[in-house]
Amino acid sequence: MNPSETIIGIDLGTTFSLVAYVDERGPHVIRDETGEARLPSVIGVLPDPDGGRPRLTIGWPARNHAVEHPETTVYSIKRLIGKGIDELRAELPFLAYSVMPGPRHTVPVEIDGRRYTPEEISSIILQELKRRAEEHLGRAVRRAVITVPAYFDDSQRQATRDAARAAGLDVVRIINEPTAAALAYGIGIRQALQQQSPCAPESRGTSLLQVAPCPTSGSDGTRADAAPTQTVAVYDLGGGTFDISILRIESGVFQVLSTAGDTRLGGDDFDREIIKLVQHEVREQFGLSIESPTTKQALRGLAEAVKIRLSEQDAARIELDLGQDRLYRRQIGRDEFERLCDPLVARTIALCRSAAEDAGLAIDRIDQVILVGGSTRMPLVRRRVGETFGRTPYTALNPDEVVAIGAAMQASVLAGSPLDMLLLDVTPLSLGIETMGGAVSKLILKNTTIPCRATEQFTTFVDGQTAIKLNVLQGERELARDCRSLGEFELRDIPPMPAGMPKVEVEFLIDANGILNVSARELRSGRQAGIQIVPSHGLTREEVERIERESIARARDDIDEHRRIDLVNQVEFDTNKAEQMLAKVGHLLDAGEAARIRADIAALRKLAAETRDLDQLHRALDAFGKGTLHLAELGIREALKDGGEAEAPTARAPRDNVKT
Amino acid sequence: MTESTEHQPAPVAPARCRACDRPLESPLYCAGCHRLYPADGLNYFELLGVSPGFDIDPEVIRRRYFQVSRDIHPDRVGADGRQDLAMRISAKVNEAYRVLLDPLLRAEYLLSLCHDETLNDKAVPPEVLTETLMLREEIEQARAAGDAGRLAEMREQVEQRDAALREQVAHAARALPGDAETRRRLRQFLNATRYVRRMLDELREP
Repeated sequence: MNPSETIIGIDLGTTFSLVAYVDERGPHVIRDETGEARLPSVIGVLPDPDGGRPRLTIGWPARNHAVEHPETTVYSIKRLIGKGIDELRAELPFLAYSVMPGPRHTVPVEIDGRRYTPEEISSIILQELKRRAEEHLGRAVRRAVITVPAYFDDSQRQATRDAARAAGLDVVRIINEPTAAALAYGIGIRQALQQQSPCAPESRGTSLLQVAPCPTSGSDGTRADAAPTQTVAVYDLGGGTFDISILRIESGVFQVLSTAGDTRLGGDDFDREIIKLVQHEVREQFGLSIESPTTKQALRGLAEAVKIRLSEQDAARIELDLGQDRLYRRQIGRDEFERLCDPLVARTIALCRSAAEDAGLAIDRIDQVILVGGSTRMPLVRRRVGETFGRTPYTALNPDEVVAIGAAMQASVLAGSPLDMLLLDVTPLSLGIETMGGAVSKLILKNTTIPCRATEQFTTFVDGQTAIKLNVLQGERELARDCRSLGEFELRDIPPMPAGMPKVEVEFLIDANGILNVSARELRSGRQAGIQIVPSHGLTREEVERIERESIARARDDIDEHRRIDLVNQVEFDTNKAEQMLAKVGHLLDAGEAARIRADIAALRKLAAETRDLDQLHRALDAFGKGTLHLAELGIREALKDGGEAEAPTARAPRDNVKT
Repeated sequence: MTESTEHQPAPVAPARCRACDRPLESPLYCAGCHRLYPADGLNYFELLGVSPGFDIDPEVIRRRYFQVSRDIHPDRVGADGRQDLAMRISAKVNEAYRVLLDPLLRAEYLLSLCHDETLNDKAVPPEVLTETLMLREEIEQARAAGDAGRLAEMREQVEQRDAALREQVAHAARALPGDAETRRRLRQFLNATRYVRRMLDELREP
């Protein structure tokens, strides 16, 4: 393994996505120029007026213009990925963009007649994160650890992996978001203990975790310093998903005892309570129904803002201009909002109780409760969690960044770092096969540590039968129709024998990514049986490849444009500088040289304005630098003589950053 | 096998690493060159390197399990390592831990390691059968009458029955391999625990 190759950690969130990495100084979240680490998981698709490929905006620009372009702005795609349209009926009324039923239960978004699968939208976000990481690290990035909600099923995990592949990223591991948070938390504790200064995170430099817990100051009496083994509950309420995971942390081993969750319960749903309230009242007062994409989008932004305000204040104003002098206006108190949200929070609490039971722990005996995800900023959530676990939740982690940091730590372990840490995670859902009469026979139970495997023998019902079909299911219910089908698996090439004679052993292996791998063998003949898998969901190999090709083309366009802008700026800078030097020290040159430089300046400016050939421009810029070297030297000498500041015409660095 | 308290090194494990010739401390992994060895032919006790037998300290098992996992888990062999092999070995080690940690599964596994003629014996010891049938009838009556207090009492009774059965299982498992009668008794006690568990699950339903 190439030790210099960084594997990045990505938190691909419903609302925001982040990228982080670990180097010898510790974990770092990559930020933009403004210091912002969060990239909104929002894509704007703007049609090209010349009929070319549509232009994409990603992140803040897309998010900030969502109201102007409601139908061409895609957000919260994570709630759709790996799901079929039938599972999304409740979701669709809240989307301002339009979604179609696609092949194999995919749900493409349709924009200007072009369809984008959720995998494709996610791949655009991932590509932007990859680009950010490459720009920050100054080298190519090929591999990543990506986090998903612990409760994501096989289809959702596979879809996420496909999205990454399409973005040109090799996913070396998929890990669960709450587990990633626990890694960051647990390593923080160990570092704190090792450094004997657990309460002074500021003394450890900005590159290290800002998560150093203070084991002795816990108002709940936690004694992390005395007991290196502790049980931890991670309550992760994000923009669109909820997870609860219960872990045992002991000397670098992070053992997940149980997990539970809901992949469609998050901050979006709290917003929707406000949206529903406003929609209802607008209908009552004005007889209007808010259906237009623009109003829906505006309402969405408004609801989110109100929710955030109510986390800090006791009341917030809602104002919605409905046009034609109709203004909807009201005040909403925190208590009213909490009444609306309480049933949602109650659902998360019920899941916490069931996870504690599965872990074999009394819920009030768990040592620590960690809050992760933006929605845990809501006072109602903190209160309910505190009541349920009988302790004040631990909130010193940055709930937005901790998952990306955990992903980066796991990435560094996979890259061969000496970080002594082992993650033992579980599968969130039971795996089974459909038996006669539509019942489910469970092969692997939920909360089994992964990787895990089960084998099952099958035989034929008819003489000479050479194929057997299996319906593989995930879920806890007793009937196949209530579980999620992962697809139809057809065992083929069984040697023709009398009915009941063949013994086909099928191995179901859930790998460390939580993804199912199936293989089969006919035991009498010892032959590997072929398996044809028709997944119920998701993209075909060809579709993933098509998206990847398109994204590479798009990336190249982006990079070229970026490089062109950099080069043109450099030309402007260098030529202006040369003109200034000519004015100052031109009299020291002979007339011929001065004239040549003037001509060179004009020629280079003309070339920069006209050419599309960036390599040619690059060469011309270099030649110009050499051609003005003498002038630059004179300038420096003059400046030194004056005691002023020396500046050479081509001394600026940005050109070195231009990707070639 | 219960007589032996010393851990026997697995006979199938190569004594020295085939790649670097270093003496192997684990049948799964060479600490010198990080080569992995498939877990084929090793039983769960050998996989975790603990003495075979019913009486096992859960803390010892956990510690051994963590130790072995540190060597062979696919995350620890690196992204470029032998992920497939590590995945398979790790799946077996995880299964070994799950089974050996749970006393009932452990007893069942020990029984399967003996020459096990009882596999298809579905019978339940007659005295347990009679008792559970009576309990079941009482539960149904209490349920029909909506007598919550009585149901709570019943639950306590069934829980006691469950604990007693576990004791009987443990006792029989300690006597393994024993004679055919010992094994038959153990199998039937194990069958009975399933019976009682199901009853408990029903009683715990709201």
